[in-house]
Amino acid sequence: MNFELTDEQRLVAGSIARFIQDNYDLESRIQLSSVKPGFSEDHWATMAELGWLGLPFSEADGGFGGSQIDTMVLMEQFGKGLVLEPFLASVVLGGGALKRAGNDDQKKAWLSGLIDGSKKLSLAYMEPESGDEPQNVAVTGTPSDDGYKVTGTKCMVLHGAAADAFVVSFRTSGGTADESGITLALIPADRDGLKVSGFPTVDGLQSSELSFDQVDVNKEDILGEVGEGFVPLNATINDGILAISAEAVGAMEVLYKDTAAYTQEREQFGHPLSDFQVLQHRMVDMFVEYEQCKSLLLRAVMEVAADGNDAQRCVHALKHLVGKAATFVGENAVQTHGGMGVTEELRIGHYFKRLMVIEAQFGNTDYHLDRFAA
Amino acid sequence: MDIELSKDDLLFEAEVNAFLTENAYKKGEDANQWRMDWFAKAREKGGWDVPKWPVNFGGPGWTPNQHYVWQRATARATTPWDLPFGLSMLAPVLMAYGSEEQQERFLPDIRARKVNWCQGYSEPGAGSDLASLKTRAELSDDGSHYVVNGQKIWTTMAHIADWIFCLTRTSSDGIKQEGITFLLFPMKQDGVEVKPIITLGGTHTVNSVYFTDVKVPVENRVGEEGKGWTYAKGLLEHERSGIAGISNSIVALEGLKEKARGVKRGNGSLMDTPSFKAKIAALEVDLMAVEYTELRSLATASAGAAPGPESSILKLKGTEIQQRIQKLTMEAGGQFSAAWGGRNSGPGFARGGTGGYMNSRYYTIYGGASEVQKDIITKKVLGIKSSK
Repeated sequence: MNFELTDEQRLVAGSIARFIQDNYDLESRIQLSSVKPGFSEDHWATMAELGWLGLPFSEADGGFGGSQIDTMVLMEQFGKGLVLEPFLASVVLGGGALKRAGNDDQKKAWLSGLIDGSKKLSLAYMEPESGDEPQNVAVTGTPSDDGYKVTGTKCMVLHGAAADAFVVSFRTSGGTADESGITLALIPADRDGLKVSGFPTVDGLQSSELSFDQVDVNKEDILGEVGEGFVPLNATINDGILAISAEAVGAMEVLYKDTAAYTQEREQFGHPLSDFQVLQHRMVDMFVEYEQCKSLLLRAVMEVAADGNDAQRCVHALKHLVGKAATFVGENAVQTHGGMGVTEELRIGHYFKRLMVIEAQFGNTDYHLDRFAA
Repeated sequence: MDIELSKDDLLFEAEVNAFLTENAYKKGEDANQWRMDWFAKAREKGGWDVPKWPVNFGGPGWTPNQHYVWQRATARATTPWDLPFGLSMLAPVLMAYGSEEQQERFLPDIRARKVNWCQGYSEPGAGSDLASLKTRAELSDDGSHYVVNGQKIWTTMAHIADWIFCLTRTSSDGIKQEGITFLLFPMKQDGVEVKPIITLGGTHTVNSVYFTDVKVPVENRVGEEGKGWTYAKGLLEHERSGIAGISNSIVALEGLKEKARGVKRGNGSLMDTPSFKAKIAALEVDLMAVEYTELRSLATASAGAAPGPESSILKLKGTEIQQRIQKLTMEAGGQFSAAWGGRNSGPGFARGGTGGYMNSRYYTIYGGASEVQKDIITKKVLGIKSSK
């Protein structure tokens, strides 16, 4: 067992930290987030130039042959900066599903563009009534001459308005909750019958809803085997969980540190707030929760990267713990800051909002504990 | 002890419900006219427009049970919007410490909902430690008026308020609780500037308020100069018990269950999910208890009197419960709760669910943070003396 990052990983972490320091002060973030497309195309190009968008793809696919560990290093830094660019949507989710399920032609057609920043993808799997279960798929593909006609609604598709194409799950056989019978396809955003409606989310990021009305999906659009989409979809979602957990760990680090700093500056009753033992111990609890998440993050990421037997259980455990800790750390950071904590003026509220969106994403704290215990 | 309401209480309940049904808002009605008519009719019932005011000021003189019946019924009905600042916070102070002239001047407009008040208490350097406030009020040489300079913060609804009741410092000698003076003055005048503070849910309810050489005639001072802290403390107790919002939480919890029943999970609904169901149940248990904590407090406090340090328990538990309802509402909306405008097929209630939760974090901070309530209970209820 070895917890050390490689020299390269340390370099990447350092360069992201510098990028954030130079570009991601609160005011710049609010500005970027409030104007379409809700992030910076310039930053996206920089990320491509620095090779970050190619990190988790194999060298054969034009990437740098990294793993979930490399994505973790990157996402933890992104979490500290509350980065807006669609790395999760395009690289981890869209690209992740494509690299797992796609054939060489499909990968060739899309991955080089994705890695050089000229193309963006996203993953459309959630539905109005799917709850947190990716196997609950009601969007249906009915056979046509050259493939399927797909009809239905996909929800909370991250950065959908900026995507050039979507990896979409739809049902080609079986009942609504069956794992088998789910097919994945890569569908360009401008395909007839597909409507993309973008909207902002409370954390300053972008999401969208996709409506499919008899959308033609040809044989060459299908990723992998018909009806066998669940396994790559689930693996991609697991990668998503690892990525946002790393992001949450980065955000929690900022919160506990900001709180410790603020309480030493703010005076009430003739003392800095940090003199009050009840607040000292609360901040210790926040720190301990953060450390626990970091430990479980490393455990889960290494287990998944090694394709270990305990991988799925580790992912459930991690998402549960991160959700619980993010709530605790976020709520107490705000409470300890008092009125200032609930304003848009301090950055802590913005981290808290992102954390609470993460709490719900890919299934919430309760859902993953239930899966873990099952 | 008897858990049943008396025959008279049940008759009163029927009368209240009949009033609320008869005067409910009807579609197409002018909302403002309806509001004014509603309060006028409530007044005709014998002080139902000012339930907590004492009889000698026009209140109904209800028993604790009648207050309970009223709260329970109004939480369920659609009643006109109302602000607590004039009605529930300033009015009791004027009744106890204001001159007869001030009572005649201000109480009728508060009662008629003609004048909106806001509360000038917190300052950037005086939050939990309110008594260290610094907004200066200096008496003019001829003794005719004060000149006020300084800044207030977290002033709820200052942007629509006509008047402010404001804690100012008239002396820095002695302990900080002394030298605080309670002044009343109009908001819409030169030298008063209101700047919005946007909170995490994206809403504008609180403000920063700046005073530059605002002239306040001495007749607008409540009670004696330098005694404002004594008057203000009683007011805070009224604020706390009001913030607890227990009847509203009972109705909100029922609404939450209904929402969760509409969220599909497997073959059933979210309410069939054991973890969610357990959290709802635990919340309901706490709410059942705090409802009776409030009733016990109502039964001991005579109408109109300040509720006392027990109000800190209600504020503590009541606001935590409100936050838990918001949190579970956000959870029930799942990933859809993150949506911030735009098209979204999730359950309708989910829209802005995370925003609602974010704003609810304020509940354990305003009106004296939970930490302050615990300090009050430590000192005033448990009688623990600190050597600090």
